[in-house]
Amino acid sequence: MFGGLRQWIDPEKTPTVGRAPDYRFSLANERTFLAWIRTGLALVAGGLGCAQFLPPLPITYLREIIAVALLVLGGIVALRAVDHWARTERAMRLGEELPGSKFPALLAVIVALGALLLIVAVLLQSPR
Amino acid sequence: MTHPPPDLGASAERTRLAWRRTTLSAGVLVLLAARPAFGPGAGPGQWIAAALAGLGWSALVALAYRRARALRRHPPFPGRRSITAYALTTVALAVLAGVIVTL
Repeated sequence: MFGGLRQWIDPEKTPTVGRAPDYRFSLANERTFLAWIRTGLALVAGGLGCAQFLPPLPITYLREIIAVALLVLGGIVALRAVDHWARTERAMRLGEELPGSKFPALLAVIVALGALLLIVAVLLQSPR
Repeated sequence: MTHPPPDLGASAERTRLAWRRTTLSAGVLVLLAARPAFGPGAGPGQWIAAALAGLGWSALVALAYRRARALRRHPPFPGRRSITAYALTTVALAVLAGVIVTL
């Protein structure tokens, strides 16, 4: 997934072959990267919000576990964002097919599973 | 290539706004990260974490500013190192948030 760290630093130089694409495509790629970064930032902010605004939950450290899970997810989203940006940039320079990705689907499944878990947790709580 | 086509899709403008939006989102995160430093039970750990979060946000603002300047040219430079630096700073903020949560 994170092959070619050099590519992150300088996608234009690796490889030296390939031609610069229309700048509008590069900027579109950049905006996609920024949208993913915002997703990651939102996950991290959500983790901090969980830790600060949730009351202590019945299970010990459950609040902290939820918070850290969101933070880790946010970090992974940011790393994957830059990796995908670099690979897309490289593919555009080489005129290759743009890299596909299963990551959006994976993230959706993870978020859905988390939501299901929370629904179960809410339903299991004794009604007041 | 002497006359680059006009930017009909306003892609430079939209990219500049995307940078601004992203930096604003990061600002929310940094405010949340700094919040424990002003609450009850704040100690040196919370103060240092808040200072580091502020530093991280300054870096993000500086990177976005630099990138916005590069986008003002026509044709605009495509982003390179500032993009990687931005992502890595975001990851560093996530790690810092982890420290704040477990503090």
